[in-house]
Amino acid sequence: MRRLRELLGVAFSGLTSRKVRTLLIMLGPVLGVAAIVAAIGINESSKGHLKAKLQELGTDLIVVNASSGLGFGQDPVIEAAAVARVRRLPDVVAVTGTRQMSDIVTVPFAGAEDYYRAFPVPVIASGLDLPETLEVPLVSGRFLNDFDESSGARVAVIGRDLADEYGYMRGESRTIELNGVPYGVIGVLDYVLLEPSMDSAVFMTFTSAMDDWDLEDPDPSRLYVRAPTNTVQVAEEIPTVVSLGGPDGANASVPTDLLDAQSQVDESLNNLTKMMGGLALVVGGVGIANVMSISVIQRSSEIGIRRALGHSRGTIALQFLFEALAIGVLGGIVGAGVGAGVVWAVADARGYTMVLSVVGLIGWALVSVGVAVVAGLYPSTKAARLEPLETLRLG
Amino acid sequence: MTETVLALEGVSRVYGEEVQVRALDEVTLDIRAGEFLSIVGPSGSGKSTLLGLLGVLDLPTSGIVRVRGTDATQLSDAERSRLRGEAIGFVFQQFHLIPHLTATGNVEAALLYRGLSARERRGRALSALEQVGLGARHDHRPVQMSGGEQQRVAIARAIATEPSVVLADEPTGALDSHNAENVLQVFGDLQSPERAICIVTHDLHVAHAARRKISMLDGKIVADEILAST
Repeated sequence: MRRLRELLGVAFSGLTSRKVRTLLIMLGPVLGVAAIVAAIGINESSKGHLKAKLQELGTDLIVVNASSGLGFGQDPVIEAAAVARVRRLPDVVAVTGTRQMSDIVTVPFAGAEDYYRAFPVPVIASGLDLPETLEVPLVSGRFLNDFDESSGARVAVIGRDLADEYGYMRGESRTIELNGVPYGVIGVLDYVLLEPSMDSAVFMTFTSAMDDWDLEDPDPSRLYVRAPTNTVQVAEEIPTVVSLGGPDGANASVPTDLLDAQSQVDESLNNLTKMMGGLALVVGGVGIANVMSISVIQRSSEIGIRRALGHSRGTIALQFLFEALAIGVLGGIVGAGVGAGVVWAVADARGYTMVLSVVGLIGWALVSVGVAVVAGLYPSTKAARLEPLETLRLG
Repeated sequence: MTETVLALEGVSRVYGEEVQVRALDEVTLDIRAGEFLSIVGPSGSGKSTLLGLLGVLDLPTSGIVRVRGTDATQLSDAERSRLRGEAIGFVFQQFHLIPHLTATGNVEAALLYRGLSARERRGRALSALEQVGLGARHDHRPVQMSGGEQQRVAIARAIATEPSVVLADEPTGALDSHNAENVLQVFGDLQSPERAICIVTHDLHVAHAARRKISMLDGKIVADEILAST
């Protein structure tokens, strides 16, 4: 034990006496470990975020978009009768249609017309079951109901971001102007993860859209369909149910598939980063071997005198191996710390929950130690083989 | 009869394989405890080879090297290193101090791996530095010392392990005459009945500071004289 302490002391003394060189050698393991830890940590944090998103969205929501039929020059729509047909499918529990309106300038408060003309707020004619279908609650008030629909009342629900921008307070009686026409705000919809654009949108009934904005018929351009069982099968059936073999069609997709695909892309990118990190570790190892080999030549006099003082070849080899070990340990610890810092920064910036395995951190730090020790073997052996008489230049 | 601390028995050292150079030829020599001897000879006479073999830094091509009666040629590297560390102290012409260590650190380097505690190591190192008159400079690095002081640190390092023999290779070769005298004085003071001192030199003034003078030529001992006290 005492011998081990002495060896460590000699190794540290050798390293600290040449601080800049030691720091430069250490850069390899630091960068390698940091890159790998960051790649894995960001990947895991991102996966955790996606998983949470997937769970929030549910895996049973189908999005149906109208696709172009033969009506050139018109926006594709799904006829209202088709919506009723989709609702009658056995596994479907909720359906809502939406249609985005155009050429409407929304002015949430006085004096903001120029800004909202430049950055228009989406205005959406919506079915009445949107919150139930998307499983998104209202943070204030209520959603559009049958009375609003039948009476054509000028009422609107706004997205949460718009409400924040608007300075809307819960329960407050306010109006929002659409091309100068005032609409009473009756509720605020919570964040819609699947459709972030809805967070700054204004929702109105199809009746209002037809009465005030010249919409010809209550046909949506998009359907949201909730089918808790046989989701994929329902998604495959919907285009046929919508078009009945006719020219007007629809595309159905399960949005969770998109998120899965995104996850796969992230995985590939992270694999690439891990490979680059591994490469940095290998290059770092070569750097250690290279610089330490040069160091052995530079320190040949020290090696010679230590041999003359009674240090055996084995002790000399261990001294240099311990120097490599110390570089690996310090490089591994610093690299793991830097990597963890990068993961924290990225997770913080992207709003992820930081996921980092302590076992993984220790594991990669140990890989750095392994690389450093393997890299140190050659210079250590070289140091041990030096003949003291040649290095001391007697006489 | 005093103990023989170092002995060469018919030792030869041949360098090279295709072109062979016989640096040392059938040399037999005893060094006893308490002796102060010098080895002299012109360049190429085999002095340094002899010193390397006496210090067990090299092995002979033939013959036996005994350190305190043990045949060093039959030992493993680790055993030979241990024997060298315990029995022999070295002083070199170029001092060979480790630049990043203080004077104490350099002396302590000779005391490593001997089962001593850090406190014991430091105590013995300071004591050795006191012996050569450098107690006050113990925390200085080699670069902060003169050549003579560096050589005295090297001598402290050589005696810190209380070896049976101190082998010095041209110890005054890199010093001015004033510092050379000081160093010779230190060697004189180090003489004791238990410790032999052997100086390899080409400087006859240094050689005559010793009691016994061995002259070499062409790898052989050509004279082994006892000198009158000066």
